[in-house]
Amino acid sequence: MPSQPPLPPLLASYVSNLPDSSLTLVSSILGATSNWLVLRFLHAALSAPSPNAAFGSDELHNGIKKKVVMVSFMRSYEFWRTEAKRLGLDLARLADKQQFAFIDGLSELFYAPQATATPSISAAGLGSSPRTTLPMRSAPGAVPGRSPQPVMPTTTGARGNVTPKQAELGIAKKLHFSGRGLASLDALEKDILSVIEQQKSMMEDGDELLLIIDQPDLLLAATGASMGIGATEMSEWITALQQHAHATVLTLATDAPLIHNASTSGGELATPIETEHAALVIGLAHRARSVMQLRTLDTGAAKDVSGVLRISRGGGLNTSEEESLEEREALYFIQRDGGVKVFGRGES
Amino acid sequence: MAPINISHRRTHNLLLISKLLSLRDTASPLTLVLDSLEQPATPLLKEYIRRAKLSKVHVTLIAFETLKRPEGVDAFVSTCRKSPADIVKEVSAVYQPVAASNPSRRRLILIDSINPLLSSKRVDPGFHLASFLGSFITPSSPRAKVDASLVVTYHQDVPELPQQNPYTPSPISVLTYLATSIITLHSFSHVLAQKAARDRSLAPPVFGLEEEQEGVLLGRLDRLAGTGKAEGIVIELEHRRKSGRGVLEWYLLPPASQYSPQHLKEIVTLLDDSVLYNPPMERDPGAGDEEPTSTFELGLTDRQRREREGVVLPYFDAQHGDGPGEGGRILYDMGEEDDFDEEEDEI
Repeated sequence: MPSQPPLPPLLASYVSNLPDSSLTLVSSILGATSNWLVLRFLHAALSAPSPNAAFGSDELHNGIKKKVVMVSFMRSYEFWRTEAKRLGLDLARLADKQQFAFIDGLSELFYAPQATATPSISAAGLGSSPRTTLPMRSAPGAVPGRSPQPVMPTTTGARGNVTPKQAELGIAKKLHFSGRGLASLDALEKDILSVIEQQKSMMEDGDELLLIIDQPDLLLAATGASMGIGATEMSEWITALQQHAHATVLTLATDAPLIHNASTSGGELATPIETEHAALVIGLAHRARSVMQLRTLDTGAAKDVSGVLRISRGGGLNTSEEESLEEREALYFIQRDGGVKVFGRGES
Repeated sequence: MAPINISHRRTHNLLLISKLLSLRDTASPLTLVLDSLEQPATPLLKEYIRRAKLSKVHVTLIAFETLKRPEGVDAFVSTCRKSPADIVKEVSAVYQPVAASNPSRRRLILIDSINPLLSSKRVDPGFHLASFLGSFITPSSPRAKVDASLVVTYHQDVPELPQQNPYTPSPISVLTYLATSIITLHSFSHVLAQKAARDRSLAPPVFGLEEEQEGVLLGRLDRLAGTGKAEGIVIELEHRRKSGRGVLEWYLLPPASQYSPQHLKEIVTLLDDSVLYNPPMERDPGAGDEEPTSTFELGLTDRQRREREGVVLPYFDAQHGDGPGEGGRILYDMGEEDDFDEEEDEI
């Protein structure tokens, strides 16, 4: 199988050159995950201009340097690092160059801060060996990224004294959820904003900062109404972050129970999380510029198709801009080497 | 009957929508716009702003989900982390300088989405939607005379949270009760697809979330719908007059690219007048019903038709089974205009 270009030509116009203060929503379901698409966003923003010239989007690269701040609630840094490597992106080096900042919302989100003592011991025991191997790709025997590796979070778990180590690892910040209600969301927002500001301080005029938030719906699911956090609070939180970035990309789950149980036809048995999640996702789709929906093939599994990608205009699209975003539906296939082929129906 | 009706609707209802969208005579103090992902309200709000600019109306946007101030909006009020009382205060504050310089200026207040406010956990339980909305329309001081119109957008597809108090009505029922006009938006291509299905007595297709297909949020793919270039928004309007009489009408708002921003004439048309919705082809079979003209009168008068229907045909009579040989007679009652000819009968 011929190796695919890192950025499929069909996708190039949708994942690069996102307009100012735009929101792009990537929706995924269990059978069709969104990480490959997020990686394409990363690649479009971070790759050196030369490989991109082939896709005709080079003229806007001139002079504009792009920075990415990525907040991930669902997958660990190790996962993103290995997957990005397959696309030719070295996240650790980019983080060194202050072009990329990773905020870990997964490993210590609900980790009690008083447990500092235990990880520091483990860090002393295990810490040195993984750190030396970090700049290189992990050993080929290791699972190539499909499952998060538990080793890394625990070794980096120590706080306070390991800040330089974290910077070395490429993790700019780890999020901690504490308290309840809006105050806790505000604290998370402040953490993320501090990283954004740090990135911005290095920016020249005209540089663009892309904010990627991977599955913030986890935060909603893990807290919920009992913590005083609902769909409105979550979307306000996202709006507040959005104001500090040039463009924002969000990934959210749209599995049927999370969306359709709460609809009026679904009966009255919707649980609070179903209602809140549906309200969050649909509300965000109303303000998004474009919605990229991933789903499995309607006709069942196929050997050479991984799923369907539908790109639609969201409710927040400017009418004047309507022509610039063409709606389309395409099939995609993730190859064994991580390359992705995107093609129309009937093509191959 | 139909042609009279449609010309009546054309004159009256087009005047009505023109009045509503241009905010003339404060025809509707509170307009509720019900939209969905399939047809967002953005183009309609743009049209409101465009017309307000033409007639020099002061436009305030209360932004629950808009990030940047859209073109043409005079005052942009962000609601991020603000209580309803703060919002009301700020909205009246931005108008103060305008009111001082030009007191007769009319005002349009747009709310881009009321849903976040309705489902917010921070708003205290004593929050009263009716008085919140009312406080925008009624002037703060009695001597200041302000003609304010409020346009509230409500996303129909965002699920409502269960009510804390089971005896209070849901926010959407309160809104529909308060509103003087309710505008429901539909995508033109979907309306066409549904009409095409109905014309063939098929179940009308559903789109987007209503498909209930896993992973599909939006079904709005213009080209997939197979209806060609059906652009525009279908507006379903329910207007409540002061007399209490309601007006129901369907309109078509063409896309903004089809007219210039300074266009003054009415661009909204009745949906029934749309060539795509009511193709002129349908008129032709109606015209074909007319008889070919000749010197003979080939038609029947009503009376003739009635009498013809009254004739019992032989095979009906035969079914009574009065016995062999009895059925199948021709039963005919002589009418007065029948010219009985004995000679003919004898033959």
